[in-house]
Amino acid sequence: MMADPHLLTILVFFPLAGCLLVLPVWKRPAAARPLALGVMTGELLLALWLYASWQGLAALKPILPGYLLVEDAPWIGAFGIRYTLGLDGISLLMVMLTAFSFCVALAVSWRAIGEKVGLFLALLLAMETGIMGVFLALDLALFYLFWEVMLIPMFFLIGIWGHGRHIYSTVKFFLFTMFGSLLMLLAIIALHLLHAQQSGVATFGLHQLIATRLPAGTQLWLFGAFFLAFAIKFPLFPLHTWLPDAHTDAPTAGSVILAGLLLKTGSYGLLRFGYPLFPQAAQTLTPLFYTLAIAGIIYASLVAFAQEDMKRLIAYSSIGHMGYVAIGIAAWQPVALSGSIIQMANHGVTTGALFAMVGMLDERAHTREIGAFGGLWGKIPLWSFFFLLFSMASVGLPGLNNFVGEFLVLSGTFTKSPLAAGLAFTGIVLTLVYTVRLVQEVVFQTERKPLPLADLDRREICLLALLALLVILMGVHPAPLLDLIHGPVKILVGGAP
Amino acid sequence: MENLNSYLIVSAILFSIGTIGVLTRKNAIVIFMCIELMLNAVNLTFVALSRHLGNLDGQIFVFFVMTVAAAEAAVGLALMIAFYNNKESIDVEDINIMKW
Amino acid sequence: MDMITIPAVNMTPILPEIFLSVLAMALLLINVFIPSGQKSYLGYISFVGVVAAGVLVGAGWGAPVESFSGSVVQDNFATFFKIIFLLSAGLAILISDQYMEREGCNHGELYPLILFTVVGMMLMAAGTDLMTIFLGLEVMSVALYVLAGFNRANLKSNEAGLKYFLLGSFSTGFLLYGMALTYGATGTTRIAKIAAIVGQMTVPSANIMLVAGMLLMLTGFAFKVAAAPFHMWTPDVYEGAPTPMTAFMSAGPKAAGFAALLRIFLVALPTLQVEWSQLLWVLAVLTMTVGNITALRQDNIKRMLAYSSIAHAGYALVGFAAGNGTGAAGILFYMLSYTFMNIGAFAVIILIGKKGEANGTVMDFAGLGFKQPALAVAMSVFLFSLAGIPPTAGFIGKFYLFSSAVQKGYIWLAVIGVLNSAASVYYYLRVMVYMYMKEPTEDFEWTRITPPIALSLLISVAGTLIPGIVPSVILQFAEQAVKLI
Repeated sequence: MMADPHLLTILVFFPLAGCLLVLPVWKRPAAARPLALGVMTGELLLALWLYASWQGLAALKPILPGYLLVEDAPWIGAFGIRYTLGLDGISLLMVMLTAFSFCVALAVSWRAIGEKVGLFLALLLAMETGIMGVFLALDLALFYLFWEVMLIPMFFLIGIWGHGRHIYSTVKFFLFTMFGSLLMLLAIIALHLLHAQQSGVATFGLHQLIATRLPAGTQLWLFGAFFLAFAIKFPLFPLHTWLPDAHTDAPTAGSVILAGLLLKTGSYGLLRFGYPLFPQAAQTLTPLFYTLAIAGIIYASLVAFAQEDMKRLIAYSSIGHMGYVAIGIAAWQPVALSGSIIQMANHGVTTGALFAMVGMLDERAHTREIGAFGGLWGKIPLWSFFFLLFSMASVGLPGLNNFVGEFLVLSGTFTKSPLAAGLAFTGIVLTLVYTVRLVQEVVFQTERKPLPLADLDRREICLLALLALLVILMGVHPAPLLDLIHGPVKILVGGAP
Repeated sequence: MENLNSYLIVSAILFSIGTIGVLTRKNAIVIFMCIELMLNAVNLTFVALSRHLGNLDGQIFVFFVMTVAAAEAAVGLALMIAFYNNKESIDVEDINIMKW
Repeated sequence: MDMITIPAVNMTPILPEIFLSVLAMALLLINVFIPSGQKSYLGYISFVGVVAAGVLVGAGWGAPVESFSGSVVQDNFATFFKIIFLLSAGLAILISDQYMEREGCNHGELYPLILFTVVGMMLMAAGTDLMTIFLGLEVMSVALYVLAGFNRANLKSNEAGLKYFLLGSFSTGFLLYGMALTYGATGTTRIAKIAAIVGQMTVPSANIMLVAGMLLMLTGFAFKVAAAPFHMWTPDVYEGAPTPMTAFMSAGPKAAGFAALLRIFLVALPTLQVEWSQLLWVLAVLTMTVGNITALRQDNIKRMLAYSSIAHAGYALVGFAAGNGTGAAGILFYMLSYTFMNIGAFAVIILIGKKGEANGTVMDFAGLGFKQPALAVAMSVFLFSLAGIPPTAGFIGKFYLFSSAVQKGYIWLAVIGVLNSAASVYYYLRVMVYMYMKEPTEDFEWTRITPPIALSLLISVAGTLIPGIVPSVILQFAEQAVKLI
């Protein structure tokens, strides 16, 4: 690691530096927008460069097995907290998703956000730092720090630029997540102390703590606390109630980030920390996990069917899609887990795209009521085409991205629990039902209200075309991504790395 | 030894009278007098114990308590006068513009 | 009877106290000759004096030096606390000027009184004899009663002063009685000797006089640090007192109460730990819960922060209940960070307020975020720190305190603590919601920020953020400070 130019630190803190650059010019959108765009693009390029060279990095064999890059430095000596960042295939996928989603969020809010633009961009950049940190931290205290830090910008994002009952929603969102994460903090402290008792070493490092031997009862309690925090983020039924509110009232960029990334931090946390740290407890709770995930899929699909607000409908569909991720993790089996991870990325792209599209429609029509539209195919064909494409992807049409994830999850799960896989499959049928209803009502029905709608402009076409390309590419040729996560998944499932 | 106990009991009774007075009386001056009673009950305890234990620490403590009580009285009465100037009363029932 | 021997007196350990007392008395005299429009100069002088005293105190870091035949000590524990007191006094002096001018108070006497308070607090932290601690406590309290009622023309301030005086001296009675009984049980008032004698008792908890003394002392101090159920005076006094003094009272004197508590209970009565730590367990839970639940429904921001300060005393009591080195160091760290974040928040409240303590509700913060971005950002930092959200000092402090409880095996105490902490987020967020997400109700009239208060804000923000990001140095100091205990 001699030649390490602190790439991971740059990856995490480059957006924060951008944030500090944007703040002085926060009153001048003309300066702030290009600056933010530059920083986010730079970050994306860095992530892509890391992806392009991952095989070379893997050959270098850094300190921790399975990791491509690791950075480690002492931070708070008194507690044994270290600044440890590590990048493996799974984090790399998440890092790419993060960098990409932020570009999407910036693009959709280019014109939609007209007030206090600079502050908006600064908050986006600050949040990017937090989320990058969550996906890279390998020290539990550091992880917790980023985990909390990413909440703060989101709180302001929904609260200041949201609509409807945005204040209620954002406070609810913040309190829900705080509640879970504080208990996780206690569990982290307890684990740290137990490890210190056993080995005499005070550490918060994930890979040291994995070696802690815990009695079954303790393990169950600690895992319970972690599980609660992650389940709220996931969100698992019945802890999901903050999500529809937050999504509905958030600005489009907020929804894109929320669906694309914040939910992923929950699933990522579970597979990176929860399962490896407490394998027996996780085993014990697997039936519960299955039950909650399947209940969530079915419940969310049924509720989605009854929604009138398009954004709320997509929010509920998010809960359903994340249910598959949950099942794949619960199965804890290489194929299913790979499916889950791929599904995390897929869901980020597809749902992000759908939220962006509803945002575009909302900008034009100032309503998201399903009943207000109809016959859009004739009026704004380009929009309708993309909407159809992403909806089909979301249903899991073969050849498009979600199919790959769901297929892997279900086939992997089937080997472990045919019942769970079967029940989850019915969920796909339900998804089909409400998505077809959405498309049918909005795109194909006859026009209900004469709304003066303009079709997509060039910026929007570029963005959606890019997203569509990804959806198709990940659908027909997922092999490179599967290769990327293959090694880490094997290490995860095979036991302690 | 019996001597000590009776002193301690007397001072405990005085202390309790003072405490009850503080809790039940309405006039700030009377409340303050009850507090003084409590302090003097403690003084009695100190002196009795000091005598019994045969060391002077307790009696020195009493001097401090007396000095401090005098300073408290000066400040307390001044505060009461300031309050009276504004409200024409020193009844604690009238100390009420904020919730108790 | 002993012969009275005149002990050899080494003045160095109390040099800062002497310096501050002399300065305060000199200021009282100078005050007479300064015309009423220019009293701010006294504030500047006393600020410089506080800084100088800080240097004197800081020079004493290192091996402990005893003096006055063991009734005062200059050790790292005392030094750490003295720094906290001086910081709180310095910040309080900086934020007083603008407020006092606006309220039209004759504030010449304010600064000497603050300095006397500090002297009292320093004696409390340095005292190793019940007598010294009592003396320090009273020097502090008597000056504080006046400070709470300082705004003579304002009825609320009168009430605050009188109420504080009556309840404060009432609690002093209990404390004293406790000290007397402890003296009776052990035959000495020296803390080290008490520890030795109690340590020799076979079953110390069977000594009724000692246990009663301990309980009464605990009650007395619980009043002083505003622990439930002895907290009733706090909201009224904090709401009524002049805002800068509220800020001061919630930081310095509270820390002084904890300093004395720690010294007495951890040094003199460690053998009774089983008994008192259970009591403190209950006290901590009550204090946190009562403080947070009541704060949820306050509209007056001073009153809200008063209840929040009760809750924060509860978090500190968690560390105390744990009664181990981590807990004690956690209290030290927490008191230091609380000084910064709380006085900072009060500084913002002073700037929002109008003459006659008007504009004191949470709603008056509406729209601040875009009218005064820098001020709103500072306030957000303080609020996030009070709520215990990283990367702030408040988070590290809570982390420290709760880990001490877990370490001790008080898992439920820690769980109740974090749940409380989660609930508290709600009322801190509420202020932020008003600052950033509501439109100002009326024409937003802005009072100008004077340099002293700007400096205090700067110090507070730095003191809240820097220990949150790189806490190692301060943590080391805190751990060294409690090593002797």
